[in-house]
Amino acid sequence: MPYLGSEDVVKELKKALCNPHIQADRLRYRSVIQRVIRHMTQGVDMSGVFMEMVKASATVDIVQKKLVYLYMCTYAPLKPDLALLAINTLCKDCSDPNPMVRGLALRSMCSLRMPGVQEYIQQPILNGLRDKASYVRRVAVLGCAKMHNLHGDSEVDGALVNELYSLLRDQDPIVVVNCLRSLEEILKQEGGVVINKPIAHHLLNRMSKLDQWGQAEVLNFLLRYQPRSEEELFDILNLLDSFLKSSSPGVVMGATKLFLILARKFPHVQTDVLMQVKGPLLAACSSESRELCFAALCHVRQILRSLPGHFSGHYKKFFCSYSEPHYIKLQKVEVLCELVNDENVQQVLEELRGYCTDVSADFAQAAVFAIGGIARTYTDQCVQILTELLGLRQEHITTAVVQTFRDLVWLCPQCTEAVCQALPGCEENIQDSEGKQALIWLLGVHGKRIPNAPYVLEDFIENVKSETFPAVKMELLTAVQRLFLSRPAECQDMLGRLLHYCIEEEKDMAVRDRGLFYYRLLLAGINEVKQILCSPKSDPSLRLLEDQAERPVNSWALDFNTLVPVYGKARWATISKCQGVEHHGPELPNTTAFPTSGPLIPEENKERVQELPDSGALMLIPNHQLTAECFEKTWLSLKVAHQQAFPWQGAVHPDNLQMALQVVNIQTIAMSRAGTKPWKAYLSAQDDTGRLFLTELLLEPANVQMQISVKQSEAGTETLKSFISVLETVIGTLGDIKS
Amino acid sequence: MIHSLFLINCSGDIFLEKHWKSVVSQSVCDYFFEAQEKAADVENVPPVISTPHHYLISIYRDKLFFVSVIQTEVPPLFVIEFLHRVADTFQDYFGECSEAAIKDNVVIVYELLEEMLDNGFPLATESNILKELIKPPTILRSVVNSITGSSNVGDTLPTGQLSNIPWRRAGVKYTNNEAYFDVVEEIDAIIDKSGSTVFAEIQGVIDACIKLSGMPDLSLSFMNPRLLDDVSFHPCIRFKRWESERVLSFIPPDGNFRLISYRVSSQNLVAIPVYVKHSISFKENSSCGRFDITIGPKQNMGKTIEGITVTVHMPKVVLNMNLTPTQGSYTFDPVTKVLTWDVGKITPQKLPSLKGLVNLQSGAPKPEENPSLNIQFKIQQLAISGLKVNRLDMYGEKYKPFKGVKYITKAGKFQVRT
Repeated sequence: MPYLGSEDVVKELKKALCNPHIQADRLRYRSVIQRVIRHMTQGVDMSGVFMEMVKASATVDIVQKKLVYLYMCTYAPLKPDLALLAINTLCKDCSDPNPMVRGLALRSMCSLRMPGVQEYIQQPILNGLRDKASYVRRVAVLGCAKMHNLHGDSEVDGALVNELYSLLRDQDPIVVVNCLRSLEEILKQEGGVVINKPIAHHLLNRMSKLDQWGQAEVLNFLLRYQPRSEEELFDILNLLDSFLKSSSPGVVMGATKLFLILARKFPHVQTDVLMQVKGPLLAACSSESRELCFAALCHVRQILRSLPGHFSGHYKKFFCSYSEPHYIKLQKVEVLCELVNDENVQQVLEELRGYCTDVSADFAQAAVFAIGGIARTYTDQCVQILTELLGLRQEHITTAVVQTFRDLVWLCPQCTEAVCQALPGCEENIQDSEGKQALIWLLGVHGKRIPNAPYVLEDFIENVKSETFPAVKMELLTAVQRLFLSRPAECQDMLGRLLHYCIEEEKDMAVRDRGLFYYRLLLAGINEVKQILCSPKSDPSLRLLEDQAERPVNSWALDFNTLVPVYGKARWATISKCQGVEHHGPELPNTTAFPTSGPLIPEENKERVQELPDSGALMLIPNHQLTAECFEKTWLSLKVAHQQAFPWQGAVHPDNLQMALQVVNIQTIAMSRAGTKPWKAYLSAQDDTGRLFLTELLLEPANVQMQISVKQSEAGTETLKSFISVLETVIGTLGDIKS
Repeated sequence: MIHSLFLINCSGDIFLEKHWKSVVSQSVCDYFFEAQEKAADVENVPPVISTPHHYLISIYRDKLFFVSVIQTEVPPLFVIEFLHRVADTFQDYFGECSEAAIKDNVVIVYELLEEMLDNGFPLATESNILKELIKPPTILRSVVNSITGSSNVGDTLPTGQLSNIPWRRAGVKYTNNEAYFDVVEEIDAIIDKSGSTVFAEIQGVIDACIKLSGMPDLSLSFMNPRLLDDVSFHPCIRFKRWESERVLSFIPPDGNFRLISYRVSSQNLVAIPVYVKHSISFKENSSCGRFDITIGPKQNMGKTIEGITVTVHMPKVVLNMNLTPTQGSYTFDPVTKVLTWDVGKITPQKLPSLKGLVNLQSGAPKPEENPSLNIQFKIQQLAISGLKVNRLDMYGEKYKPFKGVKYITKAGKFQVRT
């Protein structure tokens, strides 16, 4: 790598490029240029020979031209003044008789990425749009988008947009698709290219002429079109039928999504389509390309959420083979978990049992957890398998099994007896924090039925000094306290020792406080302790229902064939949000300037909020009332207009928040109780024109951000912005007080 | 759509980058390296990685990572497919898709990337159209070029761009008119300890090599089209004809292309051509174990099974293996613990076997699970599903083409558990 001596290289090449003998010899000249390009791709700064390279572009040799263009596009932003010299040559090439040269020159010119180039490229692009060679038209159409980006997204050239719309009727299919792509970028601010009935039908008719990429993208654009009548809808669906059988998975998925969206009012059509793509999806799941497999598996999981039995007949397709990469195996195990029914449960469990001894500890644990998931329905069989797994005496397996047991006992209390019998002996094979916590919890709650429970806990207490995880100590305190209530004689002594250690010697504050708390609780009397520690538990069925309820297809149809099934909605929202801030940062009012301490809504702040309606266009009406049902209906029918995350520290105090929102005339429809995880709230407000603002607040447990999603009954960017700034003020104030 | 592309080798060097929109700094790949580190094995790097401002969608092909940078919401399958197409094109042009080949032909690589994608959108990806824009390098041509000084770029535009059928160029001419079809079937199977089939499926494709003049209109019919469960078609095939008559009717692209791919998954139709007798045992508290496998033909329809290779990932505690094969040769890599036995073909009179001793690390507990055997094999002149081409007719042109069909069956992911 000539990184170090790069100056010499530049000098040498410069000399060679200037040498008239070399210039006269086409081959030698080209090979010198190739050397320049090679150095450039290796990251050597070759901008020093810019002048010489520009000269080299005046040639009839098309390869040499290409190479020089490539060079110019790379270094033009670094040497804008010199690059302007190159533009002359490029302009001349744009009217070359050879269409290939015209196309290349135009493309390079549009890719120069330097300020001030717009004025030079406008005319060549306009000429290119009317060129007789489709190759040039393709380049010119995309060039329009590049030119627009150079302008800094400011104004939209109406004439150009019209020209592009008319080029949608071009003969060449790629020109058509490029027009869509280009318009989409130019009209980004206005919501992208508009697909009306004539355009939609024109595109549908051209579909079969497009290449696979074009088909996939047009299918995506067609999502915007809403057929007028049922008849038209079914005509469109008929036209699209054959794309469900395309050899390109991308097109199949695109077509499926379009079907799902267009037929959103016809659930039987949706089910039918999902039946039809079962084959292609399964084929993609066993495709040679592991990345395709992975993406397809993510979509299979999504479909299963609505149609649980959908792939049950093909459960064997989801058996893992040894050589597959990790991420595929993990997805397959998840899918298997959801496919289980009375007929295949035996085979699936046997298969999963096999995975539990996999070399990779992560995968083995995933398999154990999967068995735990199935155990919610097929408890006895699963508990038996899990118990057998304990016999392997492997650390990573035992800890996973014990954690599954803890969850199971809570969800399916009927298996408590079996679990209690399996537990003795486990403690020898558990080293990690999660496993220890689970075991200690089980011993505490069900210690009555485990004969050696006190002795196991005693061992933990003996070694408490060397215990590194505070969470384990906390769990231990609670467990010993609980066990003390059911087996006082065996536990009294060690409880005393543990409390003594926690209060006198422990350095972790939380553990110490917990110790003190239990100590004081004991002082209050044994009955009080019982009342607090053994009061009825929360209803376990609640979480379970929430998790497993079937989701209607429409709830995810919009996310189908996007990155959401791969990464989850919340994650994607955060990322797009970050980009939003990057691009439109200055537009949102900056609220960090508000005072951050003192009373809940400081006086000056209140005034600020009240003032807002006068300055902006937004006036939220007081005493606006919306019933929960009404809210739900509206919420489901609307699209999210804005998503954003605000910094938030610590827990939420719902009462304070509600009060603060009341002040700015935002009504609280529903709110989780304090401490619930994840914490959610639904808010509603109405402005003086009758426009509704519906908002969801979401605080994920591990997050330090409050995620908000706002929906509007009528679109309006200005009012939305003002509404969000109001919301941001409230949340910003409260969030900062906590920190 | 696709902002930038980085090519990264296994040791983590970014050896090529291409930006279609603004330049994205190389540092974005740090997120990729982070994920690679976490995944331990290069095979396990997840294909989609999110970073604070971008998504990275990557594919892993021939020991290279193709990492694309995405900034807007995109259909993931679309991008993955496109990246594979890029890798396929390199393979097609340079004979292999390796770091060395790409570095040697870096200029052509840039030319290709420039034509395949413009402003982040896929443009020309069909191999026959690309080859007219940019001629592939061959040893002969590079010699000729250096003598005559002619370039490896077509001076004219691909004529195909003007024909009414997007996948076929106009005015094709051949002196020998030929149409060849390869029916290739791969068996994916998992066989359990006792030799019964846990899962079996055939993935089939028909690849065509068509060198016909003019605008031929072909129809291909099968003896038993109902066998095909689930078929995907090249865009040239008339779907309605298939639905009503089960005939493949199409105007073919010029050159090589994949006509259809299909699956046969009902288990009773999937014949398993080989069986494996195995006994692998590790003794408790001893530093050795026994290893003995024998391979024999099963439902092979009277054809020879050849090109057999057995690969076994032995457990970590295995130090070395002392084996004797009755035919072929074996290697054991003590670092990766992979045993490879290159068997060759099966002669039914004397079944190939491999037996001997396994040395274990002393003192280590014996492995809980026996390793799985991965088997590769090939059977010529047989489509294991029983699929047969009935006839090929040509309309629209007068000449008589030369026609040929070849069948081959291969092992896909064929795994025997022990």
